[in-house]
Amino acid sequence: MYPARNIFLLLLVGPLLAARAAAPVDLERAAEALVNSRPQDVLRQLRRDSGSRSERLIWAAGRMGAQPATDGNLREAETVLTELAQGQDQIAAQAAYLRARIYQLHLNEPDFARAAELYEALAQRQPQSHWAQLGLVKLGMLKLYMLPDSTDLKADRLAPAEAVLSRISEPLLRRDLDLQIGQAGIVLHQPQARFLPHLIAADRVSGITGTAREDLIVQIGVLSERAGDWVRAREYFERYLAEYPTNVRAFTIREKLAAANRRLAKGGGA
Amino acid sequence: MRRLQSRLGLVLLVAAFGASAYWVFTRSQPLIHPRPVTIYFAHWQIERGPPDGINAAITRYEELNPRVHVVQLQIPGASIYPQWMRSNLTGGTGADLMEWGAWLPGQKDIPARYFAPLTAELAKPNPYNVGTSQEKIPWQDTFHDKLLAPKRDSPDPGQIYAVNISECTLRLFCNVDLMKKILGEVVVPQNFDDLRKILARVKEYSRETGSPIAGLAGSRDTTRAVAETVFTAPLIGVNQRLDDGGTLYLYNRQMLAAYLGGRWSFSEPAVTAGLQLVREATNSMKPGFIQLRRDDAMIEFLRGQALFFFYGTWDATSLRRLASFKIQPMKLMPATPDDPEVGKYVVGLGGEGIGETAVSMYLNKASRHPAEALDFLKFLTSVPGNQLFTDASLWLPAVNGVVVPEEIRNFRDYQEGLSFGQAPYDMIGTEVSMGWDRNFYHLIGENGSAEKFAAAMDADMPAAILMDLKAELRATLVLVKPQDPIIVGWSRLSGERSKIRRAESEAAQTMSEGLALQMKLALETTKGM
Repeated sequence: MYPARNIFLLLLVGPLLAARAAAPVDLERAAEALVNSRPQDVLRQLRRDSGSRSERLIWAAGRMGAQPATDGNLREAETVLTELAQGQDQIAAQAAYLRARIYQLHLNEPDFARAAELYEALAQRQPQSHWAQLGLVKLGMLKLYMLPDSTDLKADRLAPAEAVLSRISEPLLRRDLDLQIGQAGIVLHQPQARFLPHLIAADRVSGITGTAREDLIVQIGVLSERAGDWVRAREYFERYLAEYPTNVRAFTIREKLAAANRRLAKGGGA
Repeated sequence: MRRLQSRLGLVLLVAAFGASAYWVFTRSQPLIHPRPVTIYFAHWQIERGPPDGINAAITRYEELNPRVHVVQLQIPGASIYPQWMRSNLTGGTGADLMEWGAWLPGQKDIPARYFAPLTAELAKPNPYNVGTSQEKIPWQDTFHDKLLAPKRDSPDPGQIYAVNISECTLRLFCNVDLMKKILGEVVVPQNFDDLRKILARVKEYSRETGSPIAGLAGSRDTTRAVAETVFTAPLIGVNQRLDDGGTLYLYNRQMLAAYLGGRWSFSEPAVTAGLQLVREATNSMKPGFIQLRRDDAMIEFLRGQALFFFYGTWDATSLRRLASFKIQPMKLMPATPDDPEVGKYVVGLGGEGIGETAVSMYLNKASRHPAEALDFLKFLTSVPGNQLFTDASLWLPAVNGVVVPEEIRNFRDYQEGLSFGQAPYDMIGTEVSMGWDRNFYHLIGENGSAEKFAAAMDADMPAAILMDLKAELRATLVLVKPQDPIIVGWSRLSGERSKIRRAESEAAQTMSEGLALQMKLALETTKGM
């Protein structure tokens, strides 16, 4: 009697268990959870040690984003990323990039030098991969602020990042590093002639939004005015007033535009 | 058998009472919801006006959207709202749409942690503007100031997290009857020196008649507004000097870093001149004003015990409805280069800009109905929705194309002039702000002076600024770190939208990371201060 009941239960539950064990993981759902800032859902859906390379990459990203963000948890993510980074595909490049991000940003005590090594290694191995190119943007920023090639305050602080910039071919990523070099030039009190071209280059590529865009247009106009480049100053002041006619800065820009026009009328164009 | 029946009746009665009590205490909602979706809209604008305006918009929205019910939650501001907001957001019970302001002490991390960016939606036209002057215009550009404050206060320079539903400015509300009594006529001050003379005359009048009349109604809250307005005139030159990047605008982090770099101090003459103006203005308030709140100042004004009440146009509706005398809003004009006291530090006439849109509403990342919440926000900030809000609240609209009612039209008579946005010397961070309050007694009263206050601030500032800069850095990193998994998510999803969102996230993260690195550099170079 009892064995018969057990067999019946097994017949009932067994297929359900088997179905669960074999259920394909919905990778899209897991990726959606990441973009919706729900990394804990990813950790519930996926397992660390099984599944495809894509699954393990998403799991590691979920581990990086989930709380508690302890160094232990981040090391666990790093273990998976190190293993994934062994290949030559895009997943390998993305894993190598994320590994560098752990050292640069996520660990309790960042290790900028180690992050820079990892970005460099990735760029050497898969130079045209998007993730290597993005890593070069981050490497350039580290060179600007945290890992300058020289501690001499009079040294050219932008040159190391410019060398990195020359290795980036993706236009949007070039734009982002150009903008960073331009802003760093201001913060690091570098000569205007060294950083203004980077701001102008960043502006030439579209896609900068929010205050960053507004600030950039004003900046190029005002810095050009300071350099006596009245033609460019006028161009950017006019652009600003066309795009932001009612902004709090518009009054000052209108005055500056009038001054630029006066200078140009007198033949003061650069 | 009968005994059993009577007991059964009693048991049933007790059970029914128990079930009812359980229901009342645990589920304060109706059994049947005629509308399947309920969204909650939380704000602290409980002055006269805005609740009526929001209700007017809700009523129309619910007519248009029979599936959705919108509940307005009016939470008292100042001390209650910040705690209420944080505890609910932490517990996952936050309202779908919530008001937030960058000046709320200790709340700077909230947008990055809990709110969703609206940038992509703002780039598209607002569907509720079809058939209006704003049809086909990107939602973001339909706002009178193109969302200046949400852009400035965004934790991420590439993203916009909020939309505004009104527009506010600061005005000097004048008791016209009292002014005629004291001055014999209505005098509209054209610059700070005119105001100085009026305030001196009020003091004389009070002494001569023995009536306790103050020039300005006083309180801690309104003093902040007065200080921010009069303080800045002599500081425009300082701002210009600090503006290395040529943005004609200075952000908190720049002010903090510049102070740490020894590039400005409260004791430098131009800043002390600004403090002198604050001292002059606050000396026309009644003694002990620093212990009082905004409502106390309003009552003082409404009782006819102060000639002016200086605060935002957000109080205009309350003042109009409550005052028994005629009120005329005036501008608190800045000191000019010919000012006899501080003129030598004033490089030009300061301006108000074009007024900033305000009452910033954010979409909770954890909203259970984000699509409906966003849709209501679109309606409220459309021409028809914002018109309903404006007409019922008598608060200025945030959106172009809305007809401004006659009663409030002169609120938009803005003073044009030089401006550096906030250049917030007094509000550059929570610690600095607290230091300002703590030391304010050095500035006011018989024993106070601008120099004493400046010395006290300069003694406290290095430590306070370091703490504020560290807090600013932490808030930025809170935003930057989670972007890595988000970028991975976008990269693993197919479609053009995912590709665009990935690129946008990468760019925004890089920009925020750049700011974090700049702040880190400022902290590194001032180690040991």
